[in-house]
Amino acid sequence: MDDKRLEELLLTVQKPGRYSGGECGSIVKDKEKVDVRFAFCFPDVYEVGMSHLGMKILYSQFNERDDIWCERVFAPWTDFEEVLRREKIPLFGLESRDAIRDFDFIGFTLQYELSYTNVLNMLDLAGVPLRSADRTDWTPIVVAGGPCTCNAEPLADFIDLFFLGEGEESDLEVIDLYKTYRKQGKSKQEFLRAAAEIEGVYVPSLYEVSYQEDEKIAAIIPLDGVKPTVRKRIVRDLDQSYYPKQFVVPYIEIVHDRAVQEIFRGCIRGCRFCQAGFIYRPVREKSVDVVNCQAKTLCERTGYDEISLSSLSTSDYRGIEPLLDKMLDWSQKTGVSLSLPSLRIDNFSEELLEKISTVRKSGLTFAPEAGTQRLRDVINKNLTEEEILRTCRTAFAGGYTAVKLYFMMGLPTETDDDIRGIADLAQRIVDEYYHLENRVKGKAVAVSISVANFVPKPFTPFEFEPQITREEMLRRQQVLRDSIHSKKIQFSWHESKTSQLEGVFARGDRRLGAVLEKAFQNGCRLDGWDECFSLEKWQDAFAACNLSPDFYTTRQRSYEEISPWSHLDYGVTKKFLISENRLAHAGVPTPNCREKCAGCGAASFGEGVCFEKR
Amino acid sequence: MRFVSHLDMTRFMTRMIRRTDIPVWYTEGFHPHLYLTFALPLSLGFESTYEVMDLRVTDDDYDMQQIQPKLNAVFPPYVQVFAVAEPVMKTGKIAYADFSIVFEDGGALTEPLKQFLSSPQILCQKMTKKGIPKEIDLVPKIFSYDISSSEKGTLLTLTLPAGGQDNVNPTLLLDVFFQEQKKPFYAVTRTAIYDDQHQLFR
Repeated sequence: MDDKRLEELLLTVQKPGRYSGGECGSIVKDKEKVDVRFAFCFPDVYEVGMSHLGMKILYSQFNERDDIWCERVFAPWTDFEEVLRREKIPLFGLESRDAIRDFDFIGFTLQYELSYTNVLNMLDLAGVPLRSADRTDWTPIVVAGGPCTCNAEPLADFIDLFFLGEGEESDLEVIDLYKTYRKQGKSKQEFLRAAAEIEGVYVPSLYEVSYQEDEKIAAIIPLDGVKPTVRKRIVRDLDQSYYPKQFVVPYIEIVHDRAVQEIFRGCIRGCRFCQAGFIYRPVREKSVDVVNCQAKTLCERTGYDEISLSSLSTSDYRGIEPLLDKMLDWSQKTGVSLSLPSLRIDNFSEELLEKISTVRKSGLTFAPEAGTQRLRDVINKNLTEEEILRTCRTAFAGGYTAVKLYFMMGLPTETDDDIRGIADLAQRIVDEYYHLENRVKGKAVAVSISVANFVPKPFTPFEFEPQITREEMLRRQQVLRDSIHSKKIQFSWHESKTSQLEGVFARGDRRLGAVLEKAFQNGCRLDGWDECFSLEKWQDAFAACNLSPDFYTTRQRSYEEISPWSHLDYGVTKKFLISENRLAHAGVPTPNCREKCAGCGAASFGEGVCFEKR
Repeated sequence: MRFVSHLDMTRFMTRMIRRTDIPVWYTEGFHPHLYLTFALPLSLGFESTYEVMDLRVTDDDYDMQQIQPKLNAVFPPYVQVFAVAEPVMKTGKIAYADFSIVFEDGGALTEPLKQFLSSPQILCQKMTKKGIPKEIDLVPKIFSYDISSSEKGTLLTLTLPAGGQDNVNPTLLLDVFFQEQKKPFYAVTRTAIYDDQHQLFR
């Protein structure tokens, strides 16, 4: 790409900093001196992708090797896409500005279903044939990883190879295999076949799916003698695993513009709606000293004045209090503020509150997820109303006046009473504030409730459940709106149009590849962005492919049905998911991993919480 | 760096300075932040060879000569400090700025530019601070200009009013010019900032 021409064009688009590269910490190598060029593609805009921790880890890890040059690529916004297409500029890596179609690998991270059209769009902008079968050249090899690969069947026609689970180890094994096979003059097909032997690597073209007359899957047949089930890969010892000492620090403001320190993977809770709570099992912690040391280095090297501790449930970290003491020791001196997202209400102590409020006082956010105790038991959110109110009291007494509560709507067994329960709970929190003697005088309380739509996901106990229709969703939103009687309560909700699509792709099969391609041809992209999403174009795509979205969303699945992801193994067994599903319908909660092992199957990885002393 | 806006530049500088051990002063408000201010913001799309940035250190006896090497060690090669000194002038004194504009036109624009800049009147629409468009004549605003040729093509140097009192962005002038001309690639660099006595701003 001619730099001058590009820079001239960049001045005609919004936020040129998205595409210019050259940020502090970005890595430029001599392309003649590397063996493998890897385009790490995040299928959403720069500000979203640059906030993603997984990309930062793999980018640094790849580039630490002299023989690999990994570059970043993001989905262009519509204005820059127009420029690229008009000027016939192929999609390029931010570091070298070279066309990624000439790279050895194009890798996507699949974080959410609504980014799938961006994957196709980016391949198309790169000038690479969309379907794996049409890519007859050795390179680029198109790979993908991330949470959505636990059922990436809708993308099976487009991706040569998926990484299941954590990629730190399997990525490099695949790259090494590639180097060997190229050197030996082997074919791409031979390479893919050999890669399928690596643990955590799934080559979709080596599995054939057949369907029954009722459209359900009849069988998933492994070809050419490949393993019948593909098991996800995990990093066993997080203390020993790679963590970046430096981030690429962007010039433009990104969504999470701060240093991020991972403290553990997995979650002990097992909330039944939460995919992350199951697919990242077992829980593995980093030790306090490793976290503290990595965090300090990161702040010094990046110059960030804020660091956030990252995990699925920060307060479940066993060393949280000693860790905060150690971190506050240096962070206060250097003016770094700590942020602790994902705190749970039940183990949120006064000491913890005091520690975070010494630095900066912002709003408090909690996720009760459901409005009544009955429904919270169904979803296994082991949290009582008294615990919620007590935490709010603690927070109010500590000077907080704003509380944000996250809920979900459309959960299995939900009734209108559960919906009204959301408003009642918010009202009781407001009342709690005004009953408190030592609250901040002269300040009003603000309780905001944010409601997302429940979408059933694979590898959760709710993977069998129907998703409610859009009409029903709108009706329930209205029930909630009618139940709120205080101006101190703010209500916001998630767009319902995209939830249906998310549901289709979350539990979809390979036949959806055709819908995806059609939708892309219809102009669908950036579907996660309200201003770009078009329901009509999607409806047209489904109709053109003779498939009904309802088949994937509103249907109750039997325990016996073969799911599109049944050949993928994430440790958690189907037997366990069925037993959890039954317990949900009986309204019986399951204790967390540290209280009592529920026998989910993740212990088979031989690591983590499953082997902690209780 | 031409794609880095003024606000982004400030944030970038804050982070770079935090990577050093220079004892910089933080504001003492509710949300303390590193005190840092640029004398004259630079437009998105421009480069500059003369920028002035104010910083405070907390230690009065701090050896100022340490600052330059410390900052240059953390800065990327395209952002470098060339002098550190105590402030001489207040930012309100800024009155002019020099720009150098290189057109990669193979010299084709030299004559049209000469004609354009010697016209009796150059009218353009400028937004007032209240956001109302106002028609102004740019000719009396141009303090001086020179057109020559360089290796790459026509070179235009301009001295224009800058700062809080009156500020003319060279883009205003070029936009009018390019209404009639085909636009080649060109690069704008700010090369100096002056006070009303035409002394380099320090």
